Amino acid sequence: MLALTSLLDRAGAASLNPLAPKSPPLRARAKSVIWIFTNGGPSQVDTWDYKPELAKRDGQPLEGFDTKTGFFPASVGPLMKSPFEWQQHGKSGTWTSGLFPHLSQHVDKMAFIHSCWTQSNNHSPALFMINTGQTRMGYPCVGSWVTYGLGSTSDSLPAFVVMSDPKNRGLPKGTALNWGAGFLPSVYQGTWLRPQGEPIDNLRRLSNLNDERQRAQLDLLAKLNRASLGDSAVESELSARIESFELAYRMQTAAPEAFDVSKEPEHVKKLYGLDQPHCAHIASQCMMARRMVERGVRFVQIYSGGMENQQSWDCHADLVGNHTGFASETDQPVAALLADLEQRGLLKDTLVVWGGEFGRLPVSQKGGKPGRDHNPHAFTVWLAGGGVKGGFHYGETDEIGHKAVVDRVGVHDLHATLLHALGLDHEKLTFKFQGLDQRLTGVEKSRVVQEVFA
Amino acid sequence: MKVRQTSSFLSAVLAAAAGAAPVPPDHAERMTKGLVIFQKEIAPLLKEHCVKCHGGEKTKADLDLVTREGLLKGGADGVDVVPFSAAESKVMKMLRHEEEPHMPEKKPRLPDAAIAKFAEWIDAGAPYSEPLIEGRKPARDRSVVTAEDRQWWAFQPLAKVAVPSARVSVLSAQSKQPHLSTTRWATSTNPIDAFLAVKAAEKKLALAAPADAATLVRRAFLTIHGVPPTPEQIAAFEKDFAVNPQSAMAKLADELLASPRYGERWARHWLDVARFAESSGFEHDYDREGAFHFRDFVIKALNSDMPYDQFVRWQLAGDEFAPGDPLALTATGFLGAGVFPTQITANEVERTRYDAMDDMLSTTSSAFLGLTVGCARCHDHKYDPIPTRDYYRMLSTFTTTTRSVIDLDLDSEKNAPKLREWMVLREPLAADLAKHEKELHGKFDDWLTSGAEMPKGATWSVLTMSDTKSKAGATFTRLDDGSYLAGGTNGGEDTYTFTAKTPLRRITGLRLDALAHPSMKKGGPGRADNGNFALSKIRVFAKAASGGEETEVKLAKAVADFEQNKASLSIASSLDDNPKTGWAVDPQFGKDHSAVFTFAQPVDFEGGATLRVVLEFAVNRQHNIGRPRLSVIVDVEPRVGGETLPAAVVAAFDALQKKNALNEKQRVALFDWWKRRDVGWRALDAKLAAHDAKRPVNTTKVLVCAEGYKPLVMHSQGANFFEETFVLKRGNTELKDGVATQSFLQVLMPSADATQQWLWKPQPGAQYSGRRRSLANWITDVEHGAGALAARVIVNRVWQHHFGRGLVATPNDFGRTGTLPSNPELLDWLAGELIRGGWKLKPLHKLIMTSAAWQQSSARDAAKEAADPANDTFSRRVPQRLEGEALRDSMLAVSGVLDATMFGPGTKDERSKRRSIYFTIKRSQLIGSMVAFDLPEPLVSQGARPTTTVAPQALMLMNGPQVHEWAEAFAARMETETGDDARIARAYLIALGRAPRAQEAESARAFVAAQTASYTAEGKPNAAHLALADFAQVIFGLNDFAYAQ
Repeated sequence: MLALTSLLDRAGAASLNPLAPKSPPLRARAKSVIWIFTNGGPSQVDTWDYKPELAKRDGQPLEGFDTKTGFFPASVGPLMKSPFEWQQHGKSGTWTSGLFPHLSQHVDKMAFIHSCWTQSNNHSPALFMINTGQTRMGYPCVGSWVTYGLGSTSDSLPAFVVMSDPKNRGLPKGTALNWGAGFLPSVYQGTWLRPQGEPIDNLRRLSNLNDERQRAQLDLLAKLNRASLGDSAVESELSARIESFELAYRMQTAAPEAFDVSKEPEHVKKLYGLDQPHCAHIASQCMMARRMVERGVRFVQIYSGGMENQQSWDCHADLVGNHTGFASETDQPVAALLADLEQRGLLKDTLVVWGGEFGRLPVSQKGGKPGRDHNPHAFTVWLAGGGVKGGFHYGETDEIGHKAVVDRVGVHDLHATLLHALGLDHEKLTFKFQGLDQRLTGVEKSRVVQEVFA
Repeated sequence: MKVRQTSSFLSAVLAAAAGAAPVPPDHAERMTKGLVIFQKEIAPLLKEHCVKCHGGEKTKADLDLVTREGLLKGGADGVDVVPFSAAESKVMKMLRHEEEPHMPEKKPRLPDAAIAKFAEWIDAGAPYSEPLIEGRKPARDRSVVTAEDRQWWAFQPLAKVAVPSARVSVLSAQSKQPHLSTTRWATSTNPIDAFLAVKAAEKKLALAAPADAATLVRRAFLTIHGVPPTPEQIAAFEKDFAVNPQSAMAKLADELLASPRYGERWARHWLDVARFAESSGFEHDYDREGAFHFRDFVIKALNSDMPYDQFVRWQLAGDEFAPGDPLALTATGFLGAGVFPTQITANEVERTRYDAMDDMLSTTSSAFLGLTVGCARCHDHKYDPIPTRDYYRMLSTFTTTTRSVIDLDLDSEKNAPKLREWMVLREPLAADLAKHEKELHGKFDDWLTSGAEMPKGATWSVLTMSDTKSKAGATFTRLDDGSYLAGGTNGGEDTYTFTAKTPLRRITGLRLDALAHPSMKKGGPGRADNGNFALSKIRVFAKAASGGEETEVKLAKAVADFEQNKASLSIASSLDDNPKTGWAVDPQFGKDHSAVFTFAQPVDFEGGATLRVVLEFAVNRQHNIGRPRLSVIVDVEPRVGGETLPAAVVAAFDALQKKNALNEKQRVALFDWWKRRDVGWRALDAKLAAHDAKRPVNTTKVLVCAEGYKPLVMHSQGANFFEETFVLKRGNTELKDGVATQSFLQVLMPSADATQQWLWKPQPGAQYSGRRRSLANWITDVEHGAGALAARVIVNRVWQHHFGRGLVATPNDFGRTGTLPSNPELLDWLAGELIRGGWKLKPLHKLIMTSAAWQQSSARDAAKEAADPANDTFSRRVPQRLEGEALRDSMLAVSGVLDATMFGPGTKDERSKRRSIYFTIKRSQLIGSMVAFDLPEPLVSQGARPTTTVAPQALMLMNGPQVHEWAEAFAARMETETGDDARIARAYLIALGRAPRAQEAESARAFVAAQTASYTAEGKPNAAHLALADFAQVIFGLNDFAYAQ
């Protein structure tokens, strides 16, 4: 009943509730985002960027190559062809490597941007760049900007949720700064779900309090707080505080319910691969993501992989082993996510993003089992749902996949495009800080990749 | 703001575009012709077709055609006009509709004749005779600071303001609002009230009625200590207040400010400003050993009421102002508190160093000056008169400043008894040595008269140079041991030429020492990034000291104490002619090394020789010896090792040989050398040395950010710092524009060339450069430097934390994008008062707390809210929510479990019962309960925290395990009373400083009864206690508990 007579009308009190839903200024194709963050930097030439010329030049040195491009200048080997089998799929005839048997069935839902490039060849700055638009730490990330711009349509769940690797392989470098709110109010920061144990702090009632007794506490609290409300100069702040206890009370039940995938039907669990040990963790996270989006959560990020090297897609050594492993962890669950969203009619409103912080070099990184070193000059990101064109390819790398050359898309362009999908204008979504109207895409001109939208 | 780094590719394109096009030799002539075309044809065309969208009503594509500067600068899509070349000008294609976008946009193409005129005009240099819109000045060149810039209020000297006559102002307000005569507004003698009265009267407003004693004492405690007063403290104040409110407030202020709790509360405000944390951030977020000492420094400085100007100086340059003072060194933790990457690739090394210096400069200028100097990193500041050049000149202050962890004795008193005992034991040993030495003087005289002779054998005589040269521009400073410390440029492949005169004859060899020094990377002895050097060639030339022809001395043999290998980096290879081989010492860094060179023939000139030694370092870039010393030996075969005779001793022997009398310096030097040959002296000296080695120490690791200590090293593929700071174009390390020499913000200097008056140079050989002290001198110079602004900024911060809002509402931005002071006279008067009072903050607090303005009631006044929504007049009091730290500390305090232990290492354990300021600030693991309550990310200086109200705060108060624990402890305190009514009343008094109202008491009683019944029904033996704990938790959630009224 308090919720009904709420002093904080969700639609009407935007000035008080920073998370009240706001209607997007432009036409919104998508309402929510699920970003499968392939942490560590997957290799474009071994996943989605088909390069027959690279196969032809396998074993040849790359003339004029700047050995400082990657992280290990002393381990630069010759050009190395993709060790995976490539085939065409879908009506679009999209070439994919054999790493993704399940996702390959969905290429006609995906818009590939093959010409992404970034500023840094080092994980931490590149992670900050792809997440916040700055190579330095401490700026608001995309998810924070989106929740700042659009608020949340859920009144009992966090607006922006991040899930990380639950297999004890660490966190992406820079950890929480990748989902931090920077100079935006902290209410917009991502809520990181602890991969083990209680996912959110203080969500569970302690010791003696049962629901009835806690309800009695909150009723007394509201009564006492409300009694001194009318004559206060900060009435609105105090009202918001009263309401925040009610929201917290609802979250106690709503959040565990949203996170609980156990009640999903068996065929859905099977679809995601929850019964397959190698991918059960991502299956569970993808199902949770779908459940959250259904319940109004705005932005969800799922990190595939932990920290660096063999803990993530960071294949300095053993490209085959590394990519086969991480692809098989994600392939079936992410494919199921696309199918499930589509089947529920949610895909048109949900933008699914697949990509990491940079790409890999076409030359090998020498070693017993060769790998590939970091490459800031080219990587592929694909988008699905949220009004994008399916089976569409934008931009090109050079013939060996070393550098983006045609229709280059910088990280700011990519960010502008994501905001655009949500109906936000990257030039107008600003926040005053240090005297300036700050924005996600910085001061230089960026471009929305309009071409990817249907 | 910090603009992202452009990729070098993009910058190169921009630089090319921005670079001046070649100017033809006949440009003056052409421009004159062009002006005529402009006036007659082009100006009307531009006005009719172009300017409306480009600089008039709109500025599409950021292209402003109103002035020539705008035209040449181009727009978002680059430069459209290349003066003197229509062919290269993109605009021609747009005009001809050959290229998108066609111009004029969505309109028919211009006539061919008009397009031809454009081409003609551009070929003539595209001159303008005047801006196309009247009154528009040509675009401002922001690299020059103008007289107009200096007019901005924040750059003015402090206004000499007299305190207004409050009574007159009040009366005028009173005439409109008669009830005010009953308030203390009219009787206050506090100057703050007088200043506020003037501004309030302008809006026909006056101060609110004073708050009651209970409110005031609670407000004072929460503001100054961050915890509520105890019932006893409330009672004591109320008693005083009944007698004399004004003196009661003064006494309360004194008491609160004298308590160490004051420093603990207010240090947190400064730590936000100082972006303080105890880890490095970025990928690994390593803990910083000894970083917490900076937090303790701030607490100590506040509690001892350290003058604020000293507080500034020490944080910037404590090591340079007070070299021996451990606390002063600790203060430099301020500079080092920023983030720093822990993994740096080769192509990020230089940019990373500029980032680190930017962090120091941006924080310094935000914290002390309220200026966003960091904005000028990539371009002249868009709003404030801060040219990029000023930024880099100021940035060069920090060229050689690095983080280091050093051992300091921060608590010398603790060590004092042991030290005294040690001193007592030392005395007889020192006396024995002194006595023996005294006796030796007689023997020394005998030795002199018996014809003292220079010792034969392996004795090296140090050379004193008459000339030192470096091809690359290194400078050399002679140190006491006769070595030469290289400074300045560390050239790519340097060559040193050292020239010295020596009285010695029959010189058989030369020794080259390459000595370590803490100022070098890895301690040297080389200047390369890893501490190495590589001597590709050594050549020696000699001539008679009296003159004559110089000949090269052939070097027969070379031996070193250590060589990197036996081949290309051996000592022998320093004799060959291959410039890519030579003597190097990897990995033996941080140690002294020496090499001796045997002359094929002794150098022997009557009257001594002039030796010229040439050292070439061509093996590897920047592999130059950092601290060379040269010595020679006579008669015997040179060997590594042996005794080294200081130059003064050699000179003394020379004088004796020439039968000259010794001067005092020579005599002292000679005795000092001679006494060491005495067996008895050596035995006593050894005893003393052994005792000295046992000097009791009580040191702790402290993070400092200074110069000359071993820098903290990260996983870097390059140097920790560079010898020079350059002016960068667009912030890009690839686009260097000359070396930046130290200076400060022109706009806060009497003239651009006034830098010298603040520059301070330490003694040669000092481990610091004096640059940070110079900066601090300027910042705290009220007369000619930035001191007036610095005083305004700190006064404003103090005001802000008393009233919830500063007189300038943007505490970190006093520039044009900040807000104007709501009461500039008051701000200037307070700043002046601070300075006149010796920069002490406690009197300022007291002045504020004893004002009627501070003591106003916070009762709502809707009319006033309407008349002055932002409360610019401060004519009402707005309740303030406690920060997370104060809220937590308050819960601990009222529960009676607060652990008052001060200082020392912090903790990340939320179960800690110490004050929240002692939480360890680790960037990747910030304390959850503090973050929920708006603890800022410690990344950049934060002048004001946001106050958010979100569900995680409520969740913590509802379900936080610590909150439950404290609630139980609070319940136990209530249980000292008997009966629910008394217990509830006690709880209200302890937590809220008042009795419950009837309605509150009734609701509470009903709640406790119901919860007790509920627990009893469940068979809990301690049902009443659990019910009280549930009630205690409700109290923690009350708005009245979380807000200072």
